Amino acid sequence: MKPRLRLEVAFLAFLAFVVALALAGPRQASALERNFAGSAQFDYHFVPSAKGARSGPKAFDGLTAELSAKLAVDVTEHLSANMKLCFGCHGFETDMMYFDYRVSDALNVRIGRFSPSFGAFNLRHDPANHRLSDKPLAYDMGRMLRMRQWNLGVLPSPFPDTGLEINGMKALGEHVSVDYALYAVSGLKGASDGTDISFRDSRTPFYVDNNARPTGGGRVSLTARLGETTDLTVGGSGMFGSWDPESKLTYGIFGGDVTLRLEKTTVRAEYLVRRQQFGVADPGRLKFAVPVGGADYFLKHGAYLEIERALTQDLDLIARADLLHRAGNVEKGSELSERATMSRYTLGAAYAFERGLRLKVSTELYHYTDAGADARHVDVSTHLGVAGTF
Amino acid sequence: MKPITRTTRRRRFEAWAPRGIAAAALAATALSLAGACRPSVEALDPQSLPEGVRADYKLFERRCSKCHSLARPLTAGITDQVQWERYVSRMRAQPASGISLEDQAAILRFLRYYSDEELRKKAARNAPAGPPSSAPPPPPPATGSQPTKGT
Repeated sequence: MKPRLRLEVAFLAFLAFVVALALAGPRQASALERNFAGSAQFDYHFVPSAKGARSGPKAFDGLTAELSAKLAVDVTEHLSANMKLCFGCHGFETDMMYFDYRVSDALNVRIGRFSPSFGAFNLRHDPANHRLSDKPLAYDMGRMLRMRQWNLGVLPSPFPDTGLEINGMKALGEHVSVDYALYAVSGLKGASDGTDISFRDSRTPFYVDNNARPTGGGRVSLTARLGETTDLTVGGSGMFGSWDPESKLTYGIFGGDVTLRLEKTTVRAEYLVRRQQFGVADPGRLKFAVPVGGADYFLKHGAYLEIERALTQDLDLIARADLLHRAGNVEKGSELSERATMSRYTLGAAYAFERGLRLKVSTELYHYTDAGADARHVDVSTHLGVAGTF
Repeated sequence: MKPITRTTRRRRFEAWAPRGIAAAALAATALSLAGACRPSVEALDPQSLPEGVRADYKLFERRCSKCHSLARPLTAGITDQVQWERYVSRMRAQPASGISLEDQAAILRFLRYYSDEELRKKAARNAPAGPPSSAPPPPPPATGSQPTKGT
């Protein structure tokens, strides 16, 4: 049996164990209180402007599936455990397996495998919790067009990692609360003297650190209740670490976010930037000349503005404007220039036709500053998906 | 075979783009009409709830829909109050949940009513066929009832 196949069989067995545990668990009060939940999204991504039957290796068009099963166990009043297994484009993965020890609202210790607190979107990364089939470009993990040239977004979500986080929440009066998080995790990964992070290596087994230096980071956010149906959250996040096995190449990701809920309308805006060093030992691998003593890094900016409006209790309309901008050297053969920009405009709807089952429809208009090999500056794509939750 | 020129590509795109946008707009309109013509399936109709529960339900709807769909708690199948307390307490601790201790008490009041109702419906479904029971449905909790202390 091939190692990857063995691993998948092990994950399947693990998943079966989780399901059995959830089903066997008593539903009434007991020392251990279990809550079993899950979600699934099946999505068809159609790119009518693509030259051939599919848009090739540049995007995952066609049918994709994302499945997840989650088990939350309240062991005691202070201790809980969370486990979530996912099946997506790269097979089975552990999205969560952590323990929370909550001393008080202001102090919670989390240890295990989890997505460290960063930005506002990641809390809603599960397809059942966001209304469009795809994620904002800054957090895209494979549904964007030209994903290979861009190597995905700024911080593809989710970003489960192994480590420790201390977080908490403190009320400041009746209407304002502050949340904080500080963490140390193994960090994103890539090859020695590489030109970019490998997000695939960062999230797929084996879940071991490729260098001995943890990545550290934190987040702070303020939530204010402005009225009975109006609230505002403002947050800032950052993380810093090294990504190569020799721990010579560093990355820093910083972001700010605002979420305003006004009656039935939610406005979300986020900005992220990643500053990342890359290997320059072999300048022949790079597309542009490396000046002596510098320019061994690139900057990748991502931002989005999203407006979600509930027309009825079952129907939401969503409009989103996305931007990705990359400034810096690229690998030889890349279609990107030293300064490349991609923008995307999305119009979509989500309709709950049964409790826990939602139809998602959206159309995206892409614009690129670099024409690429297919000499196109513009693309159109459409998503038709169904997302379910229980 | 004729080579595909830039002009041909542009023409193809110009032909496809309006179709894509029109298809999405049409789908959204059809969904809106469908949605407007029937009662909600995702959420509960506040008018169908006893008056003493409506305010608690509205708060539950407002706070809990911030991060996830309402289907999650409404289909969780939890009927034990202590389990609800820990569940909601865990949710309150989520970053930027915006759920205060007072909110938690109101959410728990609604969930208690909701799970009692679900149990009652289940019992009615499982009851052997016969004359309707003379037992009255459980009274809705009073608005000012003592909240269960959160964890």
